[in-house]
Amino acid sequence: MLLRYVLKRLGVGALQLAGLTVAVFFLIRWLPADPVSRLVSMNASDEAYAQAAAQLGLDRPLLTQLAVYLGFRPDLEPGILQGSLGVSWVTGSAITQDILQFLPVTLELITISFVIAFLVSIPLGMLGALNPGGRADKGVFFYGLFAGSQPEFWWGLLFVFLFFFKLGWAPAPLGSLSPMSMAPVPVTGFITVDTLIAGQPRLFVEALHHLMLPVITLVFVLSGPIVKMVRQNMLRALQSDFVLYANCLGLPRRRVARYALRAAMGPSLTLIGILYGFMLSGAVLVENVFSLGGIGQYAVRSVLSFDYPAIQGVVLVITAISLLVYLLLDLVHAAIDPRISHR
Amino acid sequence: MSRAEIAAASTEGAQRAPAFDTARRFDPLLIVGTLIVATVCLLAVWGPVIGPYDPTLTTASVAVPPPSPSEVPGLLIAQFSGQLETPPHWMGTDANGYDVFSRVIAAPRADLTIALLATALSAILGVGLGLLAGYFRNIATELLMRVSDVMQSFPVFISAMVLVALAGRSTTNIVIALAFVYTPIFVRLTRAEVLSQRSRGFVESARALGTSELTIAIRHVLPNSLTPALIQLSVTVGFAILLTAGLSFVGAGVRPPTPEWGLMISTGANQIILGEWWPSVFPGIAISLTVFGFAALGNVVERRHDA
Amino acid sequence: MRTQRCPNGQLNESPSPLQCAARLHPIARAVKRLGLGSAALSVALLAAAPASAQQVLILAEDVPAGLDYDGPSAAIPASQQGMVNLLEPLVGYASGGENEDGIIVPDFDTFEGRLAESWEHDATNNTWTLKLREGVQGCNGETFDANDVVYTFARAKSVSGAAPIGWFLSNVGSIAGFTTDVFGEDAAAKKLGDEVVAIDEYTVQITQSEPNALFLPVLTIFGLLIFDKETMEENATEDDPWAHDYVNNTNAPGFGPYCLDSWRKTEQITYIANENYYLGKPAIERVSVRRVPQSSNRAVVLRTGQAQLVTGLTPREYDSLQDADGVTVGGVTGNENLFLHMNFGVEPFDNITLRQAIAHAIPVEQIIQNGYFGQATPWAGVVPSGYPGYKAGDTQYAYDPDRAKALLAEAGYEGGEGLEAFADAFQLTYVAEKESTLGPIVNIVQSALREVGIPATLNPIPQTQYGDRQLVKRDLPFAINDQEKPIGVDAGYAIQLFFVSADKGGLNNMVNHSNPEIDEMWSKARVEPDSDVRTDILGQIQDRLMSDVAWAPLLEYRTQWAYSDRLQGLRWYPDNSIRYADLNVAE
Repeated sequence: MLLRYVLKRLGVGALQLAGLTVAVFFLIRWLPADPVSRLVSMNASDEAYAQAAAQLGLDRPLLTQLAVYLGFRPDLEPGILQGSLGVSWVTGSAITQDILQFLPVTLELITISFVIAFLVSIPLGMLGALNPGGRADKGVFFYGLFAGSQPEFWWGLLFVFLFFFKLGWAPAPLGSLSPMSMAPVPVTGFITVDTLIAGQPRLFVEALHHLMLPVITLVFVLSGPIVKMVRQNMLRALQSDFVLYANCLGLPRRRVARYALRAAMGPSLTLIGILYGFMLSGAVLVENVFSLGGIGQYAVRSVLSFDYPAIQGVVLVITAISLLVYLLLDLVHAAIDPRISHR
Repeated sequence: MSRAEIAAASTEGAQRAPAFDTARRFDPLLIVGTLIVATVCLLAVWGPVIGPYDPTLTTASVAVPPPSPSEVPGLLIAQFSGQLETPPHWMGTDANGYDVFSRVIAAPRADLTIALLATALSAILGVGLGLLAGYFRNIATELLMRVSDVMQSFPVFISAMVLVALAGRSTTNIVIALAFVYTPIFVRLTRAEVLSQRSRGFVESARALGTSELTIAIRHVLPNSLTPALIQLSVTVGFAILLTAGLSFVGAGVRPPTPEWGLMISTGANQIILGEWWPSVFPGIAISLTVFGFAALGNVVERRHDA
Repeated sequence: MRTQRCPNGQLNESPSPLQCAARLHPIARAVKRLGLGSAALSVALLAAAPASAQQVLILAEDVPAGLDYDGPSAAIPASQQGMVNLLEPLVGYASGGENEDGIIVPDFDTFEGRLAESWEHDATNNTWTLKLREGVQGCNGETFDANDVVYTFARAKSVSGAAPIGWFLSNVGSIAGFTTDVFGEDAAAKKLGDEVVAIDEYTVQITQSEPNALFLPVLTIFGLLIFDKETMEENATEDDPWAHDYVNNTNAPGFGPYCLDSWRKTEQITYIANENYYLGKPAIERVSVRRVPQSSNRAVVLRTGQAQLVTGLTPREYDSLQDADGVTVGGVTGNENLFLHMNFGVEPFDNITLRQAIAHAIPVEQIIQNGYFGQATPWAGVVPSGYPGYKAGDTQYAYDPDRAKALLAEAGYEGGEGLEAFADAFQLTYVAEKESTLGPIVNIVQSALREVGIPATLNPIPQTQYGDRQLVKRDLPFAINDQEKPIGVDAGYAIQLFFVSADKGGLNNMVNHSNPEIDEMWSKARVEPDSDVRTDILGQIQDRLMSDVAWAPLLEYRTQWAYSDRLQGLRWYPDNSIRYADLNVAE
C-alpha cells in the first residue's frame, strides 16, 4: 500500500518536474534582455555578435536548444539526462558545480535555523496552550502573530546595527568566515561540518559565530508561524477525548501535556515542510544582508544578469527539493497517523 | 511557498480552537488591527500630499539625522505656530537627500495598491478556478490541481523575480507576478471547501429542480464556499506587502524614485553600517506594523468565523 | 637601441636585464632621490634585502569569474584584475611620477619594455621586430620565449572563446590577417599566418597591414597578455584545443608577478608572489582578494584594519573615510567620466539645437559637489583628458539655464511645449545596480531638466539590459553613462570606438552618431604616419564632436581607492586594475 503510494507520488512528481523544466525554459526566453550583449561589450560588430551567439548556443533553433538542454542531443552538448545543467553564462563554470557549491550554504543556514526555531517554538506554543486565556497565552499568541509578519531582511539589518555596530558582539556581515581565515577544503559543502572534518575546531567556532546573526534573524521569523501552529494544535488536542479521559484518570498534568503534544505534531509536520520550501527561496534576503554565498544570492544574481542556464538550474533544483520534502513529510505524516488513508 | 500559504496551511483542515473568550466585546486585537489598517489605507490615498516635502524630489540636506526625542515637542510647537521656514525632517533624510518621513507616509500608496490589486486578482482567479476544480471533477481539473501543486513548490521569491524581470519593473507587472504566486492558495482553499459543500442537500434539490450544473455551482455552492478565502484575504494582503518589499530590496521591485518601503530599506541598508540608521529603520517599522495590522485583522475574522 | 626604463622608474642604461631585477629597497630609493652616483646605486641594489613576508587582504565587489580574456568574463573588471596580475604584457607605459595623492601615474608618451625588451619599427614594410627578454620564468619554472608570443596570437586569431577580445585588439592595432574574415566559415582564416613569426628564440616579427599608430598601445592592454604555451597545451583537450575551459576555471599560466594559490569563484582568490618574476619577487608575498558585495561593508572592515585595500566604494563612502584613522584615500583623474547619452536615431534628439539646450541645462558643479563630493572636474571634451591626442573642444556648454531655455525655444519647443509627445524618449535611463552612486546625480539632472521645461523621468534598468540596449540594439534614447573608459590610450581609438559610423569602422557607436566628414577625417588619421598631423586631425574631429553635442560630456571623476596608510606604491593603469607587484607595506 505504502509502496504504491510512494511510487505514485514520485511518478507524479517527476512529471511535474518535467513540465516545469519545459515551462521555465520557454518562460525565461521571453526575458527582454539579450544575454549576448554582455559578451560584445568591447566590440559590437555583427561578426562578433554572431560569434558570441554561437558560443552560447543561441544560434540554434529553439526546439534544438530545448532538446540539448533536456539531454536528447548528447552529440551536441550534455543535458539533464546526462546530469548536466549547462554552463553559466556569467561564471563560465558548470551549473551543477555552482549549485553544489552554493546550495549547501543555504541548506546549512536553514536547517540550523529550523532546529533552533523548533526547539524554541514548541515550549512557547505549549506554554500558551496549557494556560488558555491567561497572560502567558496572550503573550505567546501575540508573539506568534507578530513574528510571523516581519520582514526578515529588515530585522537582519537591525541585528547587524545592534549586535555588530553598537555592541560588537557579532562579527561583520562579511560571509561565512572571517576574511582572513582560510576556508577548509569543501567535503560536504556545509562549512560547519567541513571545519570539523578538517580538524579545525577554531574555524568551527568562527563559522558558528558568523552564523549567529543570520540564524537569529531566521529563527525569529520562523518561530512566528510555528508557535502559532503548535499552540493551535495543542489547544485542539487538549480538547480531544483522550485527553479528557487522561484527565479523568488523574494523570499528572505534564504527562497529559506530552500526550497532547504528540497528537499536535502531526499537522505541524506539514507546516514544517511548507516552511522549509519557503525558506529555501526566502533565505535569499538574509543571505543578501549577511553576504553569505548561498543559493539565494546565486539566484538573484542569475536573474538580474539574465543568465538563462543558471536561472533554469536554480528553479529546477529548488522545486525538486521542495517536492521531495513535501513527499517525505507526507509519508512521515501518513506513517505516524493511522487516520490518514492513502488515496 | 509563500507566507500566505503557510498561514493557509496552518489552519487548513485543523479544527479551529477558540483562542480567547469570544464573547468579549472589547477585543484589543480588533482595535489595533483596524486602527493600523485604516491609517494605512488613508495614507495610501492622501499620504503623498500631506507630507512636508515632495516624496520624489531630493532636498539639499543629505543624510541629516532625525531630531532627538527631547527636541520633538519644541519643534512641533514651532512648526505649528509657523515659526519655522522649512519644515523639520522628522525622520531625517537619506543619502540622496529625500525626506524620510514624507516617503514613509507616501509609500502605502505603492505598497497597498500592489498588495490589494494582487490579492483581489488572485482571489478572484483562485476562487473561480477552485470552484471549477472542486465542483467538476474531471481530467482537466485534475491537471489544474497538479499544475497548481507545482506552482506552489516553485520558489516563490525567485519566480516573482523572474516574472518581474520578464516584463520590466512596473507596478502592473509586480501585481501580475504576485497574483501568479498567490492564486494557487485560493484555488486550494476554495476547492477544499467546495468539495465538502457539493454533497450537501441543497445541491441535490437544485439539481432535482433541473438547474444546470454551472448555475448550481455559481449560485448555490460558491457563496457557501467563500469563507476560507475571505479569511485568507487580509493575511494575503499583508504578505503581499512583504513580498513587494522583498523584491524591491533585491532590486526587482518598483523603480526608484517611487517611495516604497522595501526600496527605502534597500537604499538605506548601505548606510546602516555607517551608523545612519534612520533611512532603513523607519520604513521597517512601518512595514512591520502594517503587516501585523493585516495579520491581526485576519486573525480576528478567523476567530469570528469559528464562533 | 632605446633606453629602457625599469618599471620602478629607474633608468636602465646597461644592456643587461639584471639591473632591473631587484626591487628597489627603500634605502636605494632614498639614495636615488639624493642623487648619489650610479655606483652607490648599484651597491644599494645589490644590498637590497629580500622582501619580508608581507600579506594583504583586499576587499572587492567581486573576484574573478574567469581568467580568460577571450572568455565570458572578459568585460568584467574584477576578472581583468586577476588577469593582469597573473600574466604579463609585452609592452607597458613608463612611470610618469607621482600625483598629488602619491599615486604613480603612467607617462603615455613613453613606452617601456616588459616581456619585449626592445623593438624596431620598419616603416616601409610595416613590420615590428620585437626583441624578447631572456631569463623570464613563470611560476613553475616555465621559460618565456618567442613560441609563447606566437601561441598567444594564434589563440587570439582562432576566436575560439566566447568573446574575441584578443582578435579585437589585434584588429584595432591593424595586425595583418586579423580581419573580420576570421568570423566566416573558412577555417584557414582563423589560422595564424606569417603576420606573427618567430625569427629566433627571442625575436618575434609582427606585420601590420597599414601604418596604424595603435600597435604599441594595444600590446599594453589586458587582451593581449602572453600565455605560457607549454602549460596551456598540456591542459588543452580535443574539444577545447585552446584551453579556454582551463583558463576560465583553473588558472592562467603566464609570466606575471603572481601565481594563483587558490580560487573560489564569487568568494575569494589568493595569489602568492612569483619567486621567478623577472623584475624581482614582489614585496607582498601573499594577496587575498575577498568578495564583499556591499560597499559599506567593505568600508567598515577597512576601518577596523582587517583589510588593507578596498575598491569600488561610493563617492560618499570615500569622503567619509578621509578623516578615518589609519586610512588613506587616494585617487587619480584617469579615464572615468560621466556624460549624457542622446540617441541621434530617436526623435527629438536628432535636433542639434535641442541637444545644445540640454547640454547647457545641466548643473555640473552641483553634481560634482553632491554626487562626487568634489572628487571630479568638468569635462571639456569627449576623450579622456589624459589621453594623447586629447583636445578640449572649442565649443563648451557651461551651465546656463537661461541659454538652455533660449535654445529650446530656438529648437521649436518654447518652454517645453511639444515635448510631451516625446515623453518616452525623455526617460533618463541608467544602470539600476549603480543606484547608490548615480541616485543623487540622476535626481539633480532630472530636476534641472524639468526646470527648463524638459519632461525628464527616471528609468533604471539592470546592467545586462542596459548593455544590450546600448550596444546591440542601439535604441536607448536618453541615458546617463559613467562606465565608458576607452581601453586603448589614444584619442583616435576613443573616436573610433564611439563616434565613427558603424559601417565605417565604428565599434560602439551607441548614439548612432553619423557624420561623413568625421568618418573621412578619422580614416585618414588612422593611418597617418606623422604624429603631429595625426594629432591635428584628431583635434579637429573633437571640435566638431563638441559642437554637434555627439555626447554631452559632464565631468571626469577621480578613480579612488581607500587603503591602509601603511600601504605604498599604488599605481594607476588605464584598465583601472591594480598591479599588486607595485605595492608594499611599510613597517
